[in-house]
Amino acid sequence: MTALSDLGSALWALSTPMMLFHVAWSMLLGIVVGALPGLTATMGVALMVTLTYSMDTTAAILVLICMYVGAIYGGSRSAILLNIPGTPASAATSLDGYPLARAGRAGQAMGLATAGSMLGTLVGILVMVMVAPLLAELALEFGSYEMFWLAVFGVLISGQLTVTNAPVKGYIAGILGLMVAMIGSEGLHAYVRFSPTQQMNGGIGLIPAMVGVFGLAEVMTAMWQRQGVLAAARDKSDRIVPSFGEVWRYRATVLRSGVIGTIVGVIPGVGEDIGAWASYATAKRLSKKPEEYGQGSTEGLIAAETGNSAVVPGSLIPALTLAVPGSASAAVLIAALFIHGIRPGPMIMIEQPQFISTMGAILILAVIAMTIYGITMTRLFVQVLRVPYAYLMPLVFTLCVVGTYALSQRMFDVYVMIIFGLAGFVLRQMKYPMAPLVLGIILGTMLDTNLRRSLMLGNGDLWPFVTRPISAVFVAIIVMAILLNFGFTRRFLAGIRARVMRRTDA
Amino acid sequence: MRMATADRITAVVFFALGIAMLVGGYTMDRLPIRQIHPLSIPGLVPMILGALLALCAVLLLFQAGDREESSPEMLMVGGSITRLVLTIVLTVGYGAIMVDRLPFFWATAIFITAFMLVFSWSAASDGRARAVVIAKSVGFGGIAAFGIVMLFQEAFLVRLP
Repeated sequence: MTALSDLGSALWALSTPMMLFHVAWSMLLGIVVGALPGLTATMGVALMVTLTYSMDTTAAILVLICMYVGAIYGGSRSAILLNIPGTPASAATSLDGYPLARAGRAGQAMGLATAGSMLGTLVGILVMVMVAPLLAELALEFGSYEMFWLAVFGVLISGQLTVTNAPVKGYIAGILGLMVAMIGSEGLHAYVRFSPTQQMNGGIGLIPAMVGVFGLAEVMTAMWQRQGVLAAARDKSDRIVPSFGEVWRYRATVLRSGVIGTIVGVIPGVGEDIGAWASYATAKRLSKKPEEYGQGSTEGLIAAETGNSAVVPGSLIPALTLAVPGSASAAVLIAALFIHGIRPGPMIMIEQPQFISTMGAILILAVIAMTIYGITMTRLFVQVLRVPYAYLMPLVFTLCVVGTYALSQRMFDVYVMIIFGLAGFVLRQMKYPMAPLVLGIILGTMLDTNLRRSLMLGNGDLWPFVTRPISAVFVAIIVMAILLNFGFTRRFLAGIRARVMRRTDA
Repeated sequence: MRMATADRITAVVFFALGIAMLVGGYTMDRLPIRQIHPLSIPGLVPMILGALLALCAVLLLFQAGDREESSPEMLMVGGSITRLVLTIVLTVGYGAIMVDRLPFFWATAIFITAFMLVFSWSAASDGRARAVVIAKSVGFGGIAAFGIVMLFQEAFLVRLP
């Protein structure tokens, strides 16, 4: 109950006119960014960091969280009306949202998407405020050995789960990210590695790299493709606010999708898109009408939207307690927290005991604003979708330049952003996931310093890496994840499952 | 280009990069003057990462061979190369050259105007329509550049290039 009363106090403290004003504009901007295909949540959060430099810490984090929540939700607008997900998170939404829009039920689809997003985020917030303090307490037990395995686990799992085919491309993306992190002064002896110019002595900044990969690369992708055509341009938008009964009918789906989304969010570097697909697939498997999925199933729509929204609070759990981002957007948030003087990680409950409650309260304010906008401003978002890329994309790229330059006032960061943008575009075209790359950059230092520190502490003894209890758990999961790539392991597990099922039936 | 061919080329590039990283880590200064622990040398992790990347590149190479037979997946399908090249020229020209050499307002105004002109021009069929496109582009470019400068410099106190 303490967690909930702390949440209530934080919510009360945040309800000042200035904070509510910040919620109002940043949420609106977030939904617009999410609604526009070609602008993703990660890009929105990365660009928004620039605007928060002069704000106080709480206001800055509030603005960034609102942008994140709003963009993930906003993606459903274009998924429903254009059949083009505004963000990758809404890909599953378009499967049933678009058929509903074509059947003249765009209003109902958007209303249900709003309800799903709201409930999904609320489930995630509840789990976050309950679980994060416990995880932070557990994280205090982590030594160098465990931190090393945590970094390996993060990059490996992200590489494995963010690809559709064999995970080798995910692994390569993760290793490339770790390699980028090796540039510049290292943590133990301050020795400068792989730095041909003085500008790289401090390493490659996460914000320029991410703005390149998620900003310029997105601009290039959007201009390379053609702009979509509004499916429901002449839709008369039936009722937008869903009835209580309509939502209550899907209570089990909402709860299940919320929990799945939150769990997916906790897994390092596995973002909202996976959360939505996992929720959607589970809902379809357990549905009484699976044949309706993909043809305009309201249950499928609500499962996808609940799933992707629940990832947002879920991804903040490891980000705050372990400094390991649960999604690409959470990686930018970690960078922003450092800029504003907050050190996420195991010490957060000691250094900033109220911070997790404050994050929960910020998310609640964001959800309220999102619901209000979602219900009242549907027509505005339809208009936003008509903005031509020729007008929008130069503005986005200008913000990419301003955002990267403003960080340290040096042109070198702008060049880094351009190089990462070009490389990111090529890698994305070749189906390399970007989340492991980003995770590699952010976890590279943690992996490097903790591996070498552990080896020093044990004087070269490798046993503690596998015999310490938490390390052993990490090793088991990592080995299992790698073995799952091989056919013989999957066949073995399928055999066990079939045997168990037979025994249960008997 | 087929995805399998592209994978094969990148596998070779990644293998070379992995070996370069491995060699770079191995030949990196081991700081003997500072008498550091031999297992804490700065090149340790780069060596491991280089070896892992080279290994993954070999796996990618094998996989590309298998896939070529099973699926004819193509690279860069569904978009316009002309639009892509124009986007790269405009964005790189602005970010890497113009911002550094011109005042930010002028660089931005020129960039936005040029971007809009280039991508709206083909939709304008006659002289009047083209005049409208030019007027819209110049107007929007100037107003947007002014707005961005004001918003960041005055409202959010951000230093611009």
